[in-house]
Amino acid sequence: MKMDCITFRSITPAQRAQRVLQRSGMEVVLQRTPRRMEERGCGYCLRLRHEDLQRAAVLLRQNGVGFQKLYSAEQGEIEEIVL
Amino acid sequence: MIYLDNGATSFHKPPAVRRAVERAMLCCANPGRGGYSAAMAAAETVFRCRETAGDLFHCDPEQVVFTSNCTHGLNIAIHTLVKPGGRVVISGFEHNAVTRPLHALGADIHVAGRRLFDWWDTLDSFEKELKSGADAAIFTHMSNVFGYILPVQELSMLCRQYGVPFVIDAAQAAGALEVDFEKWGASFVAMPGHKGLLGPQGTGLLLCGELPEPLICGGTGSVSLEQRMPDFLPDRAEAGTLNVPGIAGLQAGLSYLRRVGVESIFQREQQQAKKCAAGLQKMGYRVFSGAHQGGTVSFVPKADCQQMADFLAKRGIAVRSGLHCAPLAHESAGTVETGTVRISFGHDAASAQTAAFLQVAADFL
Repeated sequence: MKMDCITFRSITPAQRAQRVLQRSGMEVVLQRTPRRMEERGCGYCLRLRHEDLQRAAVLLRQNGVGFQKLYSAEQGEIEEIVL
Repeated sequence: MIYLDNGATSFHKPPAVRRAVERAMLCCANPGRGGYSAAMAAAETVFRCRETAGDLFHCDPEQVVFTSNCTHGLNIAIHTLVKPGGRVVISGFEHNAVTRPLHALGADIHVAGRRLFDWWDTLDSFEKELKSGADAAIFTHMSNVFGYILPVQELSMLCRQYGVPFVIDAAQAAGALEVDFEKWGASFVAMPGHKGLLGPQGTGLLLCGELPEPLICGGTGSVSLEQRMPDFLPDRAEAGTLNVPGIAGLQAGLSYLRRVGVESIFQREQQQAKKCAAGLQKMGYRVFSGAHQGGTVSFVPKADCQQMADFLAKRGIAVRSGLHCAPLAHESAGTVETGTVRISFGHDAASAQTAAFLQVAADFL
C-alpha cells in the first residue's frame, strides 16, 4: 500500500490535524518526520494512505490547520507532492 | 483541617487529579521530542489538556500555552505588550504579579477604579484613562483579597473601543467564573492551574490572542535548525520540558470542572462567603462585602490579623492574613496598616466549614 506524509512544523498542529482527519474517518499515524523530509529541523508528520491525501489536504485547509509539505514515500524513495 | 485558603491554592483536589499525576509519572516521557510510545503518550496527554482548556475557555488548542503558574503567564504577557516606560492602565486591585513586573519595566502606571464592589467607578475611571491612550490595560477578573468581581466584559469592550490591548488576570476567576476568551478579545488571559482549576502546583495556562515575546529561549522540539524561537504558538512560549505530570493532573481538574459545572461551584462558594460575611458582621468585625463578590471575604479583626490567623490555625482552620501579595488592593481599601484575614472558599464549599469558622471567630472575640 502506498503511504504519503503530511509534515508539520511542530507536534501541536500535527495533533490538531490528526483529530480533524480521524473525525472524518481517515486512518492516520502521528510520527516523527523523517530527517530527509524536514528542512528546518525537528518536526512531526501524519502518515496516511495515498488515496486519502488530497481529501486530507482539503479538510485541513477548511479547518484552518496549517501544514508544511506533502510527500510520498515508497520503498525508501521520497518525493514531494504538489497538489 | 477546614481549609479556607483556596485563594492561595486549592488543597483538597479531586482524587482523579492525584491519580492522573501518578499515571503520567509511570507512562509519560518527554512530549514533542521522541517518537516512541512513552513520548507519544506524553504528547497525547498534553494535547488533551490543551483541547479541554480550549473547550472550556473558547479558544483553539494552539492558543493554550502551559506556564508554571499565573505569575509566569502574566510576565510573558506584560513583557510582550509593555516596553520600558510604557503607559499602562491597571485596576486598583492588582496583585504583585502584575505590579512588580510593571515596576521592573519602569512603566508609567495609571490606577483606575479604587472603590470596592463599584462597577460604575471601575468603568468610569478606566474609560477616563483609556481615552488618553495606553500601551496596555491589565485588570484582574476577581480580587484575590476582597473577592471583588470586576466588570471584565465591559472593560474588554472599552479597551477594544479605544484600541488598547489588554491582559486579564484570571487567577481567582478560573474555575469559578466563566472565562470566554473569544468574546473578550483579550491579548492574553493568564491563570494558575493549581487554584480553581484544581490541578497541581507548578502549572498554569496563558491564553494567547497574539504572539507573545518569549521570556525564556531554548529547545522546543520544533524547527531546531533555527536559532530564533519559533514564530508560532504554542512553541514560542514553551521552551524546555513541560511539566507533564502536572499537566496530566490539570487535565483531570479541568475534566472535573466540565463535569460538575463552574456555575454550580461558584454558587456554593458565593453562598458560603455571604454567610461568612453576615456572621462576622453580626459579631462586630469590620467586613468587606458587597455586590459583585465571589467566594472570598476579607475582614479586619480588632487584634493583629496574624494573631487571629494563628488562633484559627490552632483550631484547625486554615486562612491567610496580611497583605496577600496585593498591597495595591489594600491601599485601595484602606487596609494597608492592619492587613486583613481572608477566607477563600473552594469547590468543596459547605455550610459546615462556615459554621466551624464562625464558631472559632466568636471564640476569638
